[in-house]
This record gives sequence, C-alpha cells and structure tokens, in this order.
Amino acid sequence: MAVLANSAPHAQPHSHPTEQDHEAHLREEHLMLDPRPRGEMNAMVMESMQTTSWKFWVVTAILVVVVAVCLVYYWGLMISVGLGIAGVNRPIYWGIFLVNTVFWIGISHAGTFVSALLRVFKAEFRRPFTRAAELMTTFGLVQAGLSIFMHMGRVWLAYWLFPYPNERGLWPNFHSPLSWDFLAINTYLLSSTMYLFLPLIPDLAMARDRSTGWRKVLYRVLALGFRGTEGEWTHLRFAMNLFAFAILPVMFSVHTIVSWDFAAAMRPGWSSTIFGPYFVIGALQSGLSAVAMVLIVVRGTMKNMKYFIRPEHLDALGKLMLIISMAWAYFFFNDYMVQWYNGDKWTDILLRFHEEGPLGWMWYAMLFFNIVVPWLVLWNKNFRRNPTILFIVGFLVNVAMWFERYIIIPTSLSINRFPFTYQFYKPNVEIPLSIGTVALFVLLYMLASRIIPLVPVWEVQEGQMAHSLRKYGKETVVTVRDLD
Amino acid sequence: MSDKTMLLALFPDLDPAAHAVERLREMGVTDDHVNIISGIPVTDAMLGRPKQPSNVPSLALAGAFGGACLGAFLAFGVPNLYPLDVGGQPLFPGPPSIVVMFEMTMLGMLISTFLGVFLDSRFPSYTPKEYVAEISDGKIAILIECQPEEEADIETAMTKLGAESVKHAEAQTL
Repeated sequence: MAVLANSAPHAQPHSHPTEQDHEAHLREEHLMLDPRPRGEMNAMVMESMQTTSWKFWVVTAILVVVVAVCLVYYWGLMISVGLGIAGVNRPIYWGIFLVNTVFWIGISHAGTFVSALLRVFKAEFRRPFTRAAELMTTFGLVQAGLSIFMHMGRVWLAYWLFPYPNERGLWPNFHSPLSWDFLAINTYLLSSTMYLFLPLIPDLAMARDRSTGWRKVLYRVLALGFRGTEGEWTHLRFAMNLFAFAILPVMFSVHTIVSWDFAAAMRPGWSSTIFGPYFVIGALQSGLSAVAMVLIVVRGTMKNMKYFIRPEHLDALGKLMLIISMAWAYFFFNDYMVQWYNGDKWTDILLRFHEEGPLGWMWYAMLFFNIVVPWLVLWNKNFRRNPTILFIVGFLVNVAMWFERYIIIPTSLSINRFPFTYQFYKPNVEIPLSIGTVALFVLLYMLASRIIPLVPVWEVQEGQMAHSLRKYGKETVVTVRDLD
Repeated sequence: MSDKTMLLALFPDLDPAAHAVERLREMGVTDDHVNIISGIPVTDAMLGRPKQPSNVPSLALAGAFGGACLGAFLAFGVPNLYPLDVGGQPLFPGPPSIVVMFEMTMLGMLISTFLGVFLDSRFPSYTPKEYVAEISDGKIAILIECQPEEEADIETAMTKLGAESVKHAEAQTL
C-alpha cells in the first residue's frame, strides 16, 4: 500500500492516465483532498466577508424596512393597544406566536445537531459548514424568544418569570412545563452561543491578523488575545469536545420540554407519550432543511464559497434529510395510529377535523411535503447534488413543518369537549409579525456573514491534514487519520 | 531569569518543527523553556511534547455540581419557601424536579467549561505578546527561552532543520 500525500494536487508521475483522472476527480470532489495553502484559504474567507455587492445592500435595505414595519411597528401597536388586535380568542389562546416559537426552536436544532453530533462521530464532511449551521441556532433562538414575548402580550411583566421574593405572592411554579421551557430555552441559548464562540476564537485571531480599521479593533477585542499556544489549543479542544457531547442532551431536552407544553395537558391530540421524540425529529426535519437552504444561498452568493461548500456537502445533507424524513414519518404514524385506534370520541372528532375540516388541505400538504417530496427526490444522487432542487425540497419541508405546528396548536384548539365554544382561528397582527421574524432572521444572518468568518478555516486545514489517498491494489481510495 | 532571551523560530510545516523540538531537547533546552504556537491544534504527541495540563475538566465538574445545587434549590427550596398548592398536587414531586435539576446541571457545567477556557488561557489578554502573523497562515513557531550564549547554536540548529527565520521574539500588540 502506498499513501499519496495530500499536499500534491496531482497524482504520482508514474500513474496510469486513468488513475490520474480518478485521483483528479477525487480531489475535485472532496474539499478534504483539495488542500490549498492556509494563507490562501484565509485570504479567501476574508475576501468573502469583505466583498459586498450593491445587491447585498439592496436586500439589506428591504429587510430593514420589512423588520421596521412588520416587527417593530406592529409589535409596538400590539403593545400599545393590547393582545386584542391579535386573532387569539376563546378557545384558541395559543396562536401563531407559539407556532412560530416551536418552529424557530426547531430551526435552531439543526445547527447543534450538524455541528455537535457530526463532531462526536467525526463525520468529516461537517468541517466547512459547522459554523454556518451554528449561527442558525443562535439567530433561530432569538426569533423563538421574540415570539414568546409577543405571545406574552404584556412584555414589560416578563420579569415575573424570574424567581424573586415579592409582596404580591407571585411565584413561578417550577413544576410547570412552562417554567421548564424558560429554563431549557435559556440553557440552550446560552450553551449554543458559547459553543458558537469557542471554535470561532482562532478564526477571529486569523481575521485580526489580516484586518485594518474598525475590523481590526473588533476582531482584536473578540479574539481575546489568542495566539495559538499549546495551552490555549489544549483548553479549547477539551472544551469543544465537552460541549459537543454535553450540548446534545440539552438539545434533545429543549424540544422534548417544548412538546410537554402540549403533551402534559389532558387534551385530545396532545396527550401523547411519543410527543417528545416526535417533536425532536420534527425539529431536525425542519432544521436540516434550513441548513441546506442557508448553505445553498451562502454558496451561491458569497465569494469563494464554491471552493468550501461543494456538491459532496449538499449530497451528505440530502442523505441526512432523507433519513430524518423517514424517521419523521415513522413518529408521525406512531402518534397518529395510537390516537386513531383508541376510539376516544373527542380524539376521533379532532382527527376528522384535521383531515376533513376547512384546513384539511394543510394536513395533506404537510404529509406530501414532509414525506412524498423528500422520498421521491432525495433518493437520487444527482438531485441531492443539485442546489436548486435541494433548495426547493428544503423550502417545502419547512413549509410543511410550519403547517404541522399550525395543525397541532391553533387547529387542534379550535375544537374541544365543549362544542358551544368551537371557533375558527383567524390570525390578524400575527401575520406581519411572523413575516417580521423571518426577515429579522435573514437580516441578522446576512449582517453576521459580513463580520463572522462563516468557514472555520483551521478546522478545514486540520481535516485536510488528516486526509490522504491510498492505493489498495489498483484502487485509489480516500483514507482519514484520527488526529485526536 | 532577566538575562535570558527569547528566540522565535518559524517553521513552514509540522515535520521540521517536530524535529526541531527533539533537537532542542538534545541541546539541553528543557521542555518548560519551549512553547509552540500554531494556527491549528497540533497535538502534544505530534510534536513529541509533554502533555499540557488543563483545569477545564475540574472546573466543568465543579460547575455541574454548582448547577445541580441551584437546580435542587429551584425544585425543592423554592416550593419550601413559597408553597403553591396546585390542585392538591405534591409540593416536592420527583419527575418534574429531575427536569429542573438536569437543565441547571448542564447549564452550570457548560458555563464553567466556557469560563474555564478563559481562566486557563488567561483570556482576555490584550497585553503585547510574542507572536507573528504568519502563524495563522499555517506556520509553526517555536518560542525558545535560552541563555544569550546559547543563541548562536540554537539559531544554527533551527536553520539547519528548516526554520524559515530565527529571531529575537518581540512582544507585539495583537
């Protein structure tokens, strides 16, 4: 067996032409086999952050206007007038605000999943896009938090959630799932932000060494004086490994606890022991699709990103999306089957309402976009590697997952055991506010892409050092060394 | 201590740096007078360096313990101080307390891990330090603390082993 060095861009001189073609193909296919000097990769990432076309600013300006109108103005209006201008009313007290909360927490799951789980299992394809995914977690949680505050109505009383002695006898009940939500979401927000920041430090130091003006000042402060000494790397590596292992159960706990907001209530359609894993898999379903969408946009719009994000990465994400879609279908059917089988009158009425009620189209669209579309498309390698097709699948899956949360929350609340209270939910101010959260997410991400190196260059270089081509008989194959 | 000087030898790659570390040891420069600075996490074993100690694991454990205590306070102490009767349900139920304690334990552990990196690495530190920007371009620097009379020998040895430059390390503002 012979190892072909990963620094050589071409095959050995004595190789057969077809072998050379094969090796060239492997290097073109895999980022880890196509190394460039570190200085060049640094320059590429810096250029991608600093090169901004007029189109970027036009889109930014539009998003700022949308955020100002849909989020700031309408939220201000709702605060001044009251929750009465929202569509929530008896019996539907939980409307789109909570749909959005669950949706955004779901989006935030994929960042941690992609980064932490793939790091734990040493999946090498993760290296160039972990940060782009982690950023989604932080910004997704910001939207989830905003949605909760919107739902709260009187946001200025939010501090009542904190346990502190007071004369009114108001006190949070820590045995309520709503208090667990507060603890879990805050734990997840803090942990995922720290997990985003730790591996970012070496890249901030890299950016510091290559910047001038305000960027230099910013990166200097954020890089904390990092040089890359043995001690600094040791502490950083240990912390990143610990975070990768520890943040996974936190991630699972967050969406499980969110599911308990519903499952702990004795309501038809909600009281289900499988809601925890069903919600977690749903979160991964929407989150992974969102990661794919973001990567495709980043790859298509930012300079030099085609080198770092390649069809192999879209292919890998497409496979993950397909597997998660299958898992979602399994959990959905498991939940549906038991409810359908138990013969409870009110559950039967609810299930019929889901399927045959005025929003029955939403129920079928949910199944079609979540199951049929991914299964029909993502089995095909060429489709998975096609950015346009993968983007469309990702978008449809996210629409379907938003529908799923809508069906679980306001649609299920429309009918209950008191037929005289049946009411159809008509969202009002919730619609512009929802648009506002989407716009704010995109805006924050776009602005962050100008400041934060989206590709962890040191991780890419580390991966490239670990990969090589090896001859087994006449076959050239990719091998990976464990550098830990 | 004050008469010692600090040299910075810059290597283009890992292999020559590893050989240089070995050579320095042969020349009598002890491990605690050598420090490696790199743009990627080079392991101790790759360079033949002694294992670096870290307090991060201990701090993580301590944080987990502190978080568990806070969780126990929220789950058991708070209902004890301010009892809330919710439909006759128990004041100190088991399963819900596990949820609160789990979240607080994990939060305590992760925050202390994060702060542990700051503490062990002495972050943030904006005072001038020995550094060259080429390190983040993939070069590997060896900082060598030595006596002035050893300088010439070390410089020759490092250059022979492939150092691109060997010079007096200058503290610079990062």
